[in-house]
Amino acid sequence: MTRNISEADAVLSGMKTKQLKYETLVKAYHADVFRYAVWLIKDRAIAEDVVQETFLRAWKSLDSLQDDAAAKAWLITILRRENARRFERKSFDLVDIDDVSVADQKQENGAVVEKRDLRMAIEKLSDEYREPLVLQVMMGFSGDEIAEQLGLNKNTVMTRLFRARSQLKDIMTTNVSTEVKASG
Amino acid sequence: MDDLTFRRTLYADPHTQDPNAALAAKGDAQKQAFWKEMKAFDSDIKAALSIDVPENLAEKLLLKQTINIESNERAKRPWYWAMAATVALAAVLSFALITPNAGSISYDALAHATHAEREAGDFATMDMATVNAKLANYNGTMHDGIGEVLSANFCYLDEIKTLHLIVKGEKGLLSLFVLPEEHNTRAESKFSNHEYSGLSFLLESTRLIVVGEDASEIESFSERAKKTLLFSA
Repeated sequence: MTRNISEADAVLSGMKTKQLKYETLVKAYHADVFRYAVWLIKDRAIAEDVVQETFLRAWKSLDSLQDDAAAKAWLITILRRENARRFERKSFDLVDIDDVSVADQKQENGAVVEKRDLRMAIEKLSDEYREPLVLQVMMGFSGDEIAEQLGLNKNTVMTRLFRARSQLKDIMTTNVSTEVKASG
Repeated sequence: MDDLTFRRTLYADPHTQDPNAALAAKGDAQKQAFWKEMKAFDSDIKAALSIDVPENLAEKLLLKQTINIESNERAKRPWYWAMAATVALAAVLSFALITPNAGSISYDALAHATHAEREAGDFATMDMATVNAKLANYNGTMHDGIGEVLSANFCYLDEIKTLHLIVKGEKGLLSLFVLPEEHNTRAESKFSNHEYSGLSFLLESTRLIVVGEDASEIESFSERAKKTLLFSA
């Protein structure tokens, strides 16, 4: 009898631990995961859906997350898989997401021109350059972690990061010189 | 490390821990200035990448999981719970509507309706384009006339992925669930609990479920749904 009670207690405390772990995960990472999703998907509403799917799946397989330090990478892996699943479903694409700008209207109005220009330049980068950049700068991933996420080797990742920044520099320098010319 | 490799390394990662890069910059003012410039550029990129996060997102995520547990836990309750429910139902036989069993579509629909107020979040109206983008998953389109749509979220009813629209009604919030076509045969046509009533019906070959507090309002809401929604095979 006593044994049963302690077993029940153990189950209950296990559930509480899982719940607590999940809440911590949501609070710590929902914002970053959402931001990453918007850059990946280029549509806020769809990004929010995919984030919800991601966390629901994370809850269901929370026991498989052994190393808390790897939680962020684990969530991004789930998110990328969930996003890929969208394209497996039939008749999804009524909205051409490439035409939807990531730029946040509300934020854009008050933001300085340079920040807006830089954001537009990032949007213009091809996916293969933008993705590792977002993972590095926004998510704080190392070259090795990015390589694992994207299924590339580290040298390729570092080359793409180099090209991403160098293209951004080029675009921004051209912008500045055009503006100087226009005002001069 | 030559100058070109140094620049390449910093372009790839301005926060590099590479000891060779540090060594190359040591005592070289020009390289140090370049490093500083790249770090500043990275801060600009970080700022440009920032995205506003919906205020209630964390709460929504926790809510989804709560509903998920509730419906799973209840589905797992032993047989005598169901028996007790049946006995209670028999005792009030005059009660015309069916109280759905745990772990059923209609049971979960009622559970989601109970949380509708929290799910609708800040009560901002959804635009039709977003609603239609989500409806496209179910081969559906909607035009104006159903009322003010406050939220359109994918929700699981008994493990089936449905689209849950929350619409502002005159007497509280109304829920409309769109089921995927392959699941169009399930769910009772009328059900209720102490707080909410629901109807389920077919529109073309798509099953819709509506839930609300007021029985007469859900009737008229169903009619509006039939007029504003269109499903193609």
